[in-house]
Amino acid sequence: MKKWIAVLLVSMMAITACSSGGNNNEGAAEGGSADKLVVWAWDANFNVKAMNLAKEAYQAENSGVEIEVIENAQNDIIQRLNTGLSSGTTRGLPNIVLIEDYRAQSFLQAYPDMFEPIGDSFQASDFAEYKLGPTSVDGEQYGLPFDSGVAGLFVRTDYLEEAGYTADDLQNITWDDYIEIGTKVKEATGKDWITLDPNDLGILRMMIQSAGSWYVQEDGKTADLKDNAALKEAFEVYKKMMDANIVRIHSDWSQYVANYNSGEVASVPTGNWFTSSITAAEDQSGKWAIVPVPRLANNDSVNATNLGGSSWYVLNVPGKEQAADFLGKTFGSDVDLYQKLVEEISAIGTYMPAAEGEAYKAPNEFFGGQNVISDFATWTNEIPNVNYGMNTYAIEDILVVEMQSYLGGKSVDQALADAQAQADTQIK
Amino acid sequence: MATLKRVFMYVFLSGAAAISIFPFLWMIISSTNRSVDVTQGRLLPGSALGENLSKAFEQIDILQALMNSAQISVITTLLALLISSLAGYGFEIFRSRAKDIVFSILLLSMMIPFAALMVPLYRMFGSISQTVPFIGIDTISSVILPTMVTAFLIFFFRQSTKMFPKDMLEAGRIDGLTELGVFFRIYVPTMRTTYAAAAIITFMASWNNYLWPLVVLQSPEKRTIPLLISNLGSSYSPDYGVIMTVILIATLPTAIVFFLMQKHFVAGMTGSVK
Repeated sequence: MKKWIAVLLVSMMAITACSSGGNNNEGAAEGGSADKLVVWAWDANFNVKAMNLAKEAYQAENSGVEIEVIENAQNDIIQRLNTGLSSGTTRGLPNIVLIEDYRAQSFLQAYPDMFEPIGDSFQASDFAEYKLGPTSVDGEQYGLPFDSGVAGLFVRTDYLEEAGYTADDLQNITWDDYIEIGTKVKEATGKDWITLDPNDLGILRMMIQSAGSWYVQEDGKTADLKDNAALKEAFEVYKKMMDANIVRIHSDWSQYVANYNSGEVASVPTGNWFTSSITAAEDQSGKWAIVPVPRLANNDSVNATNLGGSSWYVLNVPGKEQAADFLGKTFGSDVDLYQKLVEEISAIGTYMPAAEGEAYKAPNEFFGGQNVISDFATWTNEIPNVNYGMNTYAIEDILVVEMQSYLGGKSVDQALADAQAQADTQIK
Repeated sequence: MATLKRVFMYVFLSGAAAISIFPFLWMIISSTNRSVDVTQGRLLPGSALGENLSKAFEQIDILQALMNSAQISVITTLLALLISSLAGYGFEIFRSRAKDIVFSILLLSMMIPFAALMVPLYRMFGSISQTVPFIGIDTISSVILPTMVTAFLIFFFRQSTKMFPKDMLEAGRIDGLTELGVFFRIYVPTMRTTYAAAAIITFMASWNNYLWPLVVLQSPEKRTIPLLISNLGSSYSPDYGVIMTVILIATLPTAIVFFLMQKHFVAGMTGSVK
């Protein structure tokens, strides 16, 4: 009996102890007090670091403003925002948050009053046009475009040479050319040409955006699958790749990276942010080149597209004016900051004046002295602007299933028609 | 024939054991390898454990997170055991039709997924924050309170109480114990194994709890271990060696608790009173 009373007392004391701890930190819990800006972002070595560079630059001019950058996993940010915003409690929410472009509209449209328009804090037309669609609603600019998801085709030049090609042969090609070259490379080297995750159709997204098309129509709401010519061609290209026996399958990110780091796979069309994963294999220095992504042959498609990328948003909580001012004076106009971003974390922004800076023109020895940043910056400006809408990932879940049916023998028109029917009932 | 059967059984069991233990083994091996080796599927121990450890301690505040997790888990477990066992005991010993109905409703609540309760709960804690900040959002109390008592644990104690010999209660009452005295002096010591099993279940659930702490704990210095691991894995180029090392550290406390109480745990699961 005595023991239990002791245990009870101890636990009561512990609770009181932590509650007083809670009391002390109450200021931090507010998150919205005007004298301190709280920022949420993911990836300590990329987004968080970028924000910290911006913070340094801003505090040099405005020493009185305290800024705290908190690292949260991307999925964790989504979970927290959704819970906080849908419960109508702004308590605990940050002032500035990073949101992936594919998901931006779902937040902006689902919680219209919770985000602050910040169009007055910077010149939207200074940014790559394709970033403005996802970051605005009805012409009102809510997001400050951050990193470019501009895609390139990373390719092993040593394997290409064994098959009798050079990187120049891969300039401005179509996906059909890409498959043809891949088949030759596989014959010559035995290495697979590309690795794909059947549950991630990022490659389809890249293909259709290069033709100015998306899973939804321009209104961002109606699913556009059934008579979407670009999507149909992308499906066909995907199947051709599979049939050509040049694809290695992976099921998660670590396998994906490993396939390249181990030298088992010879090319990867993906976003520029993948550069650091490629360069992690130091022994492959000088063996890689980055060329423009292939385009679709039968659609009005360009050799430039996007994969991923995100932007900064200001939440409608106390401190919003300060937050907008901070973003506008850093990511919105500071050319020097963008040079630092390139030099220190290889982050390519979408602020066009920044491309004139020195850091953008520096050659990269890992890629045989190629000016990769400058190339990426050039391609960024060619990316077609599409409306990602609210349901990119929901529709993609449907397409993942239909893609397997198509590979299993269903006709492409039928697969897309079925996907359309399902999307129409699921998405309102 | 019997030996053949035995051999077959051993082969099967060894295979099953190998499959169950492999992920654990792989975690330990990977914590000694560099990230590149992990992604390439290296199955031999490497020499990078020290490097991974120093990187982990450099990048993140593991000790703080361990302390937070420990504080939450221990308090949750103690309170959960006390409250749930009292409830389970009450439901079984002082049975009535009305209580059975209440109990059924309680069981029904097990069917509601936590994700469905989360938004209303968050709203509740959001409003509490304004009047009673020390149990509001971003406090340890806000993690403990909603996860403390589960219908499952009450059910678990009630089922175990069914096997408790009621004569012992009568004996206690005749000897002049109060009702609480009967509970603490007779029931609790007799049901030790049940308590051990319940403690392990609750401690592990609380230690590994992810969703609710994720939503309510915003300050980095209040983060629990699972939240920390989630962060590490979210980078564009994750360092798998470091992640595995941190997961290993995070697993140790639950493993220790389990091994300490293992004997009681198995007994508690199969039936508590002999």
